[in-house]
Formats: sequence, C-alpha cells, structure tokens
Amino acid sequence: MKIVGILFILLFCFESKSNINFNAKSTTLENGLRLIVVENPRAPVVAQMMWYNFGSNIEQRGKSGLAHFMEHLMFKGTKKFPNSYYSDYLSKIGGSENAFTSYDYTAYYQIFPSQHLEKIIELEADRMNNLTLTKKNVEIEKKVILEERFQRIESDPSAQLDESMRTVLFPNDYYGRPIIGWKHEIENLSYDDVIDFYKENYNPNNAILILSGDIKFKNAKKLVNKYYKSIKSSQKIKLNKLNNPDLKTSTNVELSNENVKQQIWKRIYRTKSYNDSMTQSIALDLGMKILAGGTSSLLYEEFVNKKRFFNGGRFFQGLTKGNGYIYFYAIPNKKVEQSEISDLLDKFIVQAIDEGISEEKLILEKKKYYFDSIYGMDGILKPAEIIGEALTIGLSLDDIENWNDKLDKINLEMVKKELKEFSKNRNFVTGNLKN
Amino acid sequence: MRFIFLFFLLIFKNLDAFEYKNLKTNSGIEFWFVEDKSIPIVSVSFSFRGGSSIDIKDKNGISNLMTSLLDEGTRNLTSKQFKNEMKMNGMKLSFSTQKDKIDGVFQIISAQAKDGFDLFYEALNHPSFNEVDINRVKRQVISSIKIDESDLSTLASNKFNQHFFKDHVFSNNIKGSEESIKNITRTDLVNFHKRSFVKNNLVIGVAGNINVNKIKKYIELVFGELKDNQQNYSIKQFKALSVGQKMFEMKTPQSSVLFGHPGLERNNENFFALRIANYILGGGGFQSRLYKNIREKKGLVYSIYSYLLSYENDGVIVGGFQTRNKSVFQTIENVKNEWKKLNKRGITKSELDNAKAYFNGSFTRNFTSTLSIARLLQVVQYYELGADYFIKREKIINSLNLEKVNGIISEYFSNEKLFFMIVGEPEKK
Repeated sequence: MKIVGILFILLFCFESKSNINFNAKSTTLENGLRLIVVENPRAPVVAQMMWYNFGSNIEQRGKSGLAHFMEHLMFKGTKKFPNSYYSDYLSKIGGSENAFTSYDYTAYYQIFPSQHLEKIIELEADRMNNLTLTKKNVEIEKKVILEERFQRIESDPSAQLDESMRTVLFPNDYYGRPIIGWKHEIENLSYDDVIDFYKENYNPNNAILILSGDIKFKNAKKLVNKYYKSIKSSQKIKLNKLNNPDLKTSTNVELSNENVKQQIWKRIYRTKSYNDSMTQSIALDLGMKILAGGTSSLLYEEFVNKKRFFNGGRFFQGLTKGNGYIYFYAIPNKKVEQSEISDLLDKFIVQAIDEGISEEKLILEKKKYYFDSIYGMDGILKPAEIIGEALTIGLSLDDIENWNDKLDKINLEMVKKELKEFSKNRNFVTGNLKN
Repeated sequence: MRFIFLFFLLIFKNLDAFEYKNLKTNSGIEFWFVEDKSIPIVSVSFSFRGGSSIDIKDKNGISNLMTSLLDEGTRNLTSKQFKNEMKMNGMKLSFSTQKDKIDGVFQIISAQAKDGFDLFYEALNHPSFNEVDINRVKRQVISSIKIDESDLSTLASNKFNQHFFKDHVFSNNIKGSEESIKNITRTDLVNFHKRSFVKNNLVIGVAGNINVNKIKKYIELVFGELKDNQQNYSIKQFKALSVGQKMFEMKTPQSSVLFGHPGLERNNENFFALRIANYILGGGGFQSRLYKNIREKKGLVYSIYSYLLSYENDGVIVGGFQTRNKSVFQTIENVKNEWKKLNKRGITKSELDNAKAYFNGSFTRNFTSTLSIARLLQVVQYYELGADYFIKREKIINSLNLEKVNGIISEYFSNEKLFFMIVGEPEKK
C-alpha cells in the first residue's frame, strides 16, 4: 500500500517505451471490464494486476488524498470474505501483494502459484463491488495515512521541495496536488467521502484486469467472465480536463533545512503528453537521453567529467495522461547559487543541441531502448506493469506492441526539432535544496 | 530491428522438475547453471566473500569505492568507451559491496554474448583505476554519504549499525566517511582489488539462453585468471551486541527507530524455525503481529517490519518503524510487548501452519526470471545449503512442529536482548 510518486513512474518509463512483443491477448466484457492476458508458462506462477483508470486526477477540490485513502481501504474485507481474508488467503498459498496510486491510475497486484488462480480472481472481483467498511476502519487508516505522509513528505526536505515545485508548475490541475493529499485535507476526509468515491468509481467500466504468467487466455476469459459478469457497470469516470496557464514569471523555489548536508538543484518542465503525439514524445525522450540521460550523456561529460561542477545529475520523464513533465536534478560539487546553475544549464542545452547531438549517439540510444524491451519480458510482473500503465494513461495495446516501428522512424532532425522546442519552453520551475 | 523469438519453453512445474547442472570449467571453477531458452538473455549472479568486512583500517569504504570503479574503464577502454560498449551490446553489469561480500550481476542479450563476456572479463580483471576517474568517483561517494546523512531513515540505519554491532567490523559504514575516502590511494585500490577477487571466495549461478559448452568457456574466460588466496574472510561472531536504547537528536517531526536482536547463521539447523518465528512476528508483511497490532489496530505507524540478517557464522534480527515524535516510546513499548508475548506464549498451531504454507508456496516465484534463477543458484552455494537443497527445503519446513518451533523461540527470543536506536526528537513518556 503505497503512493507512487515521481520515482516509480520514472523507473519504468525507461522500459515502457520500447518494442515489446508481449503477444498480449485482449477482450472486453459486456460490463466494460477489459481483460488482458500475457501467456508465459515458464514457472507455475501468475501475476494478477487490477488497474483502475483513475487516481488522484478525479478527486474534487478539497478532497486531495481520497484516491490513495481508498486504495488503503480496499484491503479491509467484504461481506463474503471479511477483514483480512484476502491477504490471509494469499499468504497461505505463498503469494505476495501490494497496491499503488498515482495521478492517473490506481493498481492492485498479487503474485501467486497458478493452481490458486480461480480463487484469486474471485477475491479481486469481490472487492470491486462488495467492500464493507466501518467508521473505525476509516478512522484508524486515516492515522496510518497521516503517518505515511509524515514519513514520505514531512520528514523529507527533498520531498517537500518537490511537492512545492509541482504546485507552482501546475497551478490549475491535479498534477500540482500531492497524490497522498495535503495534511489538512486528509484530516478532513470522512467516511461518507470514502463510500461515495468507492461506489461512484470502482466498477468494471473503469477497470483493466491483467493476468500474466502461467495462464491460458481461454481459461482466463472463462473465469473472469464467471466472477465479473454479475457486477453491474456504472458510469465511466469523467475527467474535467484542465489546462495550466503559461508561467509569466521566473519561478525559483528554495528549501533550506539544517538537516540537509548536500545541496541539490532541481528543475521540472511542463511538456506535451504522450497522448498528444507519441512520435514527438519519443523523439524528445531520445534527445533528452543523449543530453542528460545518464553517465554517458553530454551533460555528464561536460559538468561531471570535464568541469567537475557536478557530482551527478540526470533527467527523468514522467508518463502521464494530461500534461507531461520532465524532471532534472544536479548535485553540485561545491555550494553554489541556484541562479548560477540555472544559467549554465540553459546555455549548455542550446549549445549541446547544435554541437553535441549526433547520429551515432542516436543509434546508441535506440539500441538501448530495444535491448531494454527484451529485458522487460524476463519476468511476469513487469509486462503487466508496462501494459497497465500505458493503457491507463491513454495509450493503446497496439501502441505498446508497435512501439519499435515508431522508434525506427525517428531521425536526427526530428530529435533536434523536439529539443529545440524544448529549449524554448519557459514553463518550468527551478528548485534548490540547501542547508 | 526485430528478433523472432523461438520459444523453446523450459517449464518448471514443480520443484522436482527444477534441475540445474553443476559445471566445472577447465581450470576447475565450479558453477551452477540452468539452461533456459524462453528468453534471449543470459544472467550471471556471482559473489565474493569479504566485502566491506575486509576494508583497510582508516580507509573504510575502500571495497565500495573499488567496486564503484569497475565500470569506469579498462586497460583498453576509457570510462566513456566502456559505457558505450555496454549500451551497444545490451549489457548490464553491477557490483555492490555489502558487509560480508561483494555481490555482482552480469546480464547480456544472448546474441551479444561474445562481446559481452569479453567486456565483463576486462572489467573484472583489468579495470583501469585511472586517477581522474578515482577522484571523480570519490567526489560522488562523498556526495552520496552527505545525502545519506540528510536522510532520516538512512541516517538511522547507519547509526543503528554503528551502535548495535559496537566493536565488530559490521559497525562500519559500507561507504566509509569523507575522511577515510580521502585517505585511499590508487595503489590501495589496485591491491584491494587483487585481494577481493580471488577464486576460493567466489560462487557463481547462471541462467539463460546459452549452451553448456559456451557458458563453460565464458565463465573460464571471466574468472579463470583469478588467483587463489589462503586468507580466511569469514565473519567473526557477534560477541557483544548492544542492548537497551540509544538516541541521536535530529530536528524532524517523526523519529526513525531501528531495533536489533541476536539471530542465527544461515546454515544453522534451527534457521528455518527462527525464520518462521520472525515471519509471524514481523517478517510476514500484512500478516505479521507487528503489522496487525501496531499498524492495523492502533494506526501508530505506516510501516513496521523485522527481518533476519543471516551471515556465515552468525546472524541478527533487525526491525524498524517511523512514527510521530509523540508516539515513539509508546510504539517501542508495543514492540517490546510483542517480543515478550512471543517468548512467553510462543506461536499457535494455525500461525505455524500458515507460515509453513507460505514458505512452501512462495518458493516457485524464484523461477520467474533468468536473474532470479541465477541468484537462487548463487545464494544456495554461498550459504553452503547443499546440492540437494531444492529437494530438502520442503522436508525441513514440513518437519517443524509446534513444540520444536516454540522451544526454539523460548530459547532465542528475549526482550531483554533488544536494542533500540532512535533518531529524531521523541517526546518523553
């Protein structure tokens, strides 16, 4: 039961954009439930992931943290399988489980020996519709969530800085609100809020069930139909799509805390989403990888190796349904003014696009994409994660399976064009974490 | 750029079907291997005894610094060239220094095996240890030590090790300190590299799409040049673990608390009984008593856990939680009570049955990727659990009855032996 912040999404944005031939099979039940199966009989183990295509993005103003709160409460039992029956059952068969919430999705997963498939499908179906919650459940879990917020944010200056930067960058939509919720709003969430949220959103129309591992599509279809077909569908989530205004001022955010022993410079840019143009987004991602993707990037070569100005630094790109974002950080070698770093990097990006981005480097990054896609198939949870995230942010199964075709078509000019546009992007916020 | 995958599926339907080969290279290096053609990847998991436990006095962190330099270039390739070659071949190589060993993972796309193993050979046997790279990685390690010091839970964990293990070598920080890092010279690194990577301290597990002859040849290539070394890198027993409580003040709204207790070495005959007891106490995720009683019933913490750290000659139980400063001592009391309750009343029949079922059922998860298979093969050798472990394991678990486990619990668990490290600003009781 956890929150997925930037890190999680970023971790697998590297994997999710590549040529992956999962041979995934898909069908949709009459009530709207989407079923996807990735057959992989290597070991007698199945990974089940239930993805709901909403996260903190559907919370009303004043109710931040509600989607994540709901995620915690999904473990509290139903009429037929009360209290911790589901978790108890899973552990008795040697299974494991968890769940996570992000801006655009909420997901639950279990990994377990395949002979128990039917029961696990039944248990997951059951809690979509039959959760029983007491007021006491809600009150105690609220305490747990406040401790979670204190652990993740209030006790971590770096996380506080991130939270603050996002509120500045996304003043008008949910990407600016913390997934876990503001402290004062979590405190005010009520039993009724939770029940309403559950009834309104947890239904087959908003759900994608992914089964990966030792399972056949035919059998999966039969079992899923058996346990889900009686669940009535209600409305699909309605997303009130909001856009953010262009930022007209320079926005520098600074957090000074006596516990901070190492200065960290950060920047987040608002960018296009993969839904706007996948090809352009992939081109930008490739360019950014050449520019600042890791220890063989231009940025690393210039500022870590040559100038010894930083000890580390790189970028990450978030996969989101609405606005995309690009996240940058750098670890200065010596204490330095925030503005000095910003100026250096701004100049560097412009210069690097003209002089540093080469055909040779592009080929290397494309190769890496491709090899990563093969590694993405070694295991049973990873395919379900990649497919689930891509679908819930609005991509299609074909988009994932044919990723490599798009990748192949991207040339140096396209990459440069995206980077040039990026270098003119003024919708960013800069952060400084210091002592 | 598209492969067509031929699915010669290797299927592990049950433990009896799990067969590995015990192979030997020309020069006598033994390793365990599973040929798995379901995916065009080869994964190698390897381990050298030693790690930070053999760090040099006043040069703590040398093992970690040395392993951090192994992808920074070879006798033929600069750091940049080496990293590009890795990318070009879809190769992954990582080393991690731990308290008792250096763990390594090498992965390669099968079609690139030749180039990949060549690079692996160069990295392990002929790292450049170029002065420029050494200085850069030193700066990076120092930055990372400072980030650790800024982070509540990492700081707490380092403070815990320092005080709990007291005079034992495990009390040292794996990364060392700013001062100790600065003391390390290139010559130190070259010598330490020779001392760490020796044949008699090495264990290897391999899984993936490659045939027996080829993998024997490649393993010989990579590890064949290493020397033997008669020095014993076994970890000394923990003669005097701390008990009681220690405080480190830090201005923060939550405190991070880590706790420790004596445990058992991995190949002790009572290890599985202790593992089951710990599963019930704090190891079993949503199932554990600590989780149910302190999180679910009282809402005092978001996360609370305990786990076994079992080494070659000894072991400990370590646990932890974070809670608001006002509830630190209340939560510590709760942990002590769970310990007391366990010691006095033991576990119930149904708890035991559930735990046994968990350990029997969860094992097949190790077979879901080439890396997890390779790692399993390596770990079983590292702890000398026996060539028949995969068959024996279920018997060991099933032989545990309530009387036996509770006997071991009352012998080993005592709240008097608990040690708590508190980092934060806890409010007095």
